[in-house]
Amino acid sequence: MPKDAIDTNPLVLRNTFAMGRHPYHPQPTDEDSSSASETDTLLAGVGYTVRSSDLLNVADRLEKLDSTIIAAAAAGVPPEFLCSSAVHYNPSDLASWIDSLLTEVPPQSSPSMWMDAVCLPPPSSFSIDAHRLGEEEDAGIRLVHLLMTCADSIQHDDHVLARSLIDEMRLLLPLIGVGYGIGKVSIFFLDALDRRISFLPQPTKSVLEDEILYSHFYEACPNIKFAHFTANQAILEAFNGCDRVHVIDLSLMHGLQWPALIQALALRPGGPPALRLTGIGPQTPKVGLRLAELARSVGVPFSFHAVAAGRLDSVRVKPGEAVAINSVLQLHLLLSETGPIDSVLTLIRELRPKILTVVEQEADHNKPAFLDRFTEALFYYSTLFDSLAASGGGGGRVDVGCSAPAEVYLQREICNIVCCEGSERVERHEPMGRWRVRLGRAGFEPMHLGSNAFRQASMLLKLFSSEGYGVEEVEGCLSLSWHGRLLITASAWRARADSAVAPPACHRYIVW
Amino acid sequence: MAGSNEVYANESRTVVPLNTRVLIHNFKVSYSMLRRQDGSFDRHLSEYLERKVPANAKPVDGVVSLDLLLDRPTNLLVRIYLPAPAVSGNELPQQALLSALQRPPSPDPFPVIIFFHGGSFAHSSINTTIYDILCRRFVTLCGGAVVISVNYRRSPEFRCPCAYDDGWTALKWASSQPWLRSGEDAKLRVFLAGDSSGGNIAHHVAVRAAESGIHISGNILLNPLFGGNGRTESELELDGKYFVALDDRDWYWKAFLPEGADRDHPACNPFGPNGVKLDELPFPKSLLVVASLDLTKDWQLAYAEGLRKAGHEVNVIFRDQATVGFYFLPNTNHYYEVMEEIRSFVNSNC
Repeated sequence: MPKDAIDTNPLVLRNTFAMGRHPYHPQPTDEDSSSASETDTLLAGVGYTVRSSDLLNVADRLEKLDSTIIAAAAAGVPPEFLCSSAVHYNPSDLASWIDSLLTEVPPQSSPSMWMDAVCLPPPSSFSIDAHRLGEEEDAGIRLVHLLMTCADSIQHDDHVLARSLIDEMRLLLPLIGVGYGIGKVSIFFLDALDRRISFLPQPTKSVLEDEILYSHFYEACPNIKFAHFTANQAILEAFNGCDRVHVIDLSLMHGLQWPALIQALALRPGGPPALRLTGIGPQTPKVGLRLAELARSVGVPFSFHAVAAGRLDSVRVKPGEAVAINSVLQLHLLLSETGPIDSVLTLIRELRPKILTVVEQEADHNKPAFLDRFTEALFYYSTLFDSLAASGGGGGRVDVGCSAPAEVYLQREICNIVCCEGSERVERHEPMGRWRVRLGRAGFEPMHLGSNAFRQASMLLKLFSSEGYGVEEVEGCLSLSWHGRLLITASAWRARADSAVAPPACHRYIVW
Repeated sequence: MAGSNEVYANESRTVVPLNTRVLIHNFKVSYSMLRRQDGSFDRHLSEYLERKVPANAKPVDGVVSLDLLLDRPTNLLVRIYLPAPAVSGNELPQQALLSALQRPPSPDPFPVIIFFHGGSFAHSSINTTIYDILCRRFVTLCGGAVVISVNYRRSPEFRCPCAYDDGWTALKWASSQPWLRSGEDAKLRVFLAGDSSGGNIAHHVAVRAAESGIHISGNILLNPLFGGNGRTESELELDGKYFVALDDRDWYWKAFLPEGADRDHPACNPFGPNGVKLDELPFPKSLLVVASLDLTKDWQLAYAEGLRKAGHEVNVIFRDQATVGFYFLPNTNHYYEVMEEIRSFVNSNC
């Protein structure tokens, strides 16, 4: 790339084409109307929640905190040491944040998570011939326009127009590099649209193929590792002081999340607890044995129990054990009209977990209108593919079948979102804001992920991932971002004390 | 100075509205936890504490925004704000936005403001909420301006001149975009603007522009960050009052300037002993906003003097009893009157 040429890549227009509401725009909610105290709107507009009636108090406490810091510095303890053991939570809630710092924070040695070192290929440089850039840009943007127009025509059941648009788009493809960027992801969406109006049956899936693709996706980018690592940190903290713990993984697969937790528990000050792991769903053969071997080698008393997919109801919890229920990219699968999300959440609550970790894609792919869903997905997956390409996880030219397995993994999701409806459409991603409401209704309250989890996620990303990834904190949840666009959000929950938990009358057979 | 802090706190109570006081004081306190004595910076905690907001293709008060990656090797991101494009027929907002980025020069002139956020070169980003709000404000204030907020590389990880280089890259990019040109002569009517360190960056990018023949319609500097080895009267008198202390100013300069440089380095002190002569250059007109309770005000006034001596036009707006950060919340006359000055400056020089 010549030094003065600018690699503008406007194809990264896909970047953050969010369609959400402005997060800090005051929106009426049920809570607001019933609550007596008003928040200061100007501060809310810049991201801080302070009750108007509390402002003076907060100002005074800030002064006190400031004075404390200055006095300590004068006495030889600079702020970096004074506050080094402080764990910060939800900085938007200023009053609590200040108070937590004002109280003496005893140095807590919370055990930290260390990920297995995973070697990622170095980020590949994006070399586009500067001359061709102009016409490729135009063709790329035209293609995006056409994709959306085609989706619109499908929404209006105009399949004739849709078909002609698809043909037109196929003619555009040679003008666009399909080895990378918007060309590559567009081809997946184009194929999906084609499939939808051709009423082709979905390709048959094999569990083995699923596992292989998943494993490639896991390696190719930090998304799942971020999910695992962040959930594990929360679980570890929730298990503090408990000597019998039980982790229930809603989808075990290769059990990639658990070696790190086992190792962290082994290193826990005061010694490891006895760990039970229940793995639900498809799992690679002998995963339980492998984990048992690892646990034995690091001195963690361990037992493993495999449960068939959809049989959360058959999981038994022993009295006195602390339970963690872990859901990574699982809950959205239950959201179809006839889906069992409510009964599953009830079942979860009935197991009385100490913590429920929920990690979900930060995207709205469950909108009822097809065009809305399609557009959201187009921009979300464009960002994901861009991140894959920069991480070296992208494959070659998609039209000659050289997609990387990680891309095929994502292509499956794209196809499901675009081609399927009803109970077949399972990739019903919803943003954390909606999960917050749903989980609240189901009797859960958030456990905020703090600055220590943030810091470790941030450090590990820096060490093991390409430039461009970041971590963001929003309302106590942590999200992985690519160039500022949130991709996946990790959160932790516990049952609200006041929520009634009816004893299970009978165990329902949940199919998912 | 521990005891005196309480006396000064009382003073800030009377001049600053309560919510502004809470906001700026919060920054002061949280920032103090991030600066380390060895010159390093707790970037992770800093990112955790920053309140951020994503770009939004859906209009909010008539303004849309999107993030664009300008340069992959340096990860240079900009956030572009523009008036919500008219949507034709069944077009989605995203489609309208894409079309807007591809349109030819507009016959009706409009200003393009390249904005550099503040944060003493170390804090904040384009998606920090206080700056997102400010940029959105500029769009409507200036009758439909396009605002380009630059996510320049920050210190101490990236020292001078990285931030200036990033500003220059953004300016060159803007010059290459047909859709940013307007008026009968299809010109790029660009203003460079910034607060605090952003103001400093705006100055240095303007110098480069002047040296390279890119015409800048005007510079808008809000409490720009300048300094020097010497201690000025305002620095000594206002040290530790009104949210800012000399110690932190020194820390940020040390983190930004090249290793071993002192504050008479031209980046910090452009009209100091090592300054560059601007006399012969077509340097743009400047609008300089100075807050009387900002301890660096003497350096800002010296900057204005330096511009005048070099034969360049500068309009100084001196706000009596204003503190740093008065432009974050619309709750004082300072806010509204300064916004009006900016509007007027942009309109008459567009």
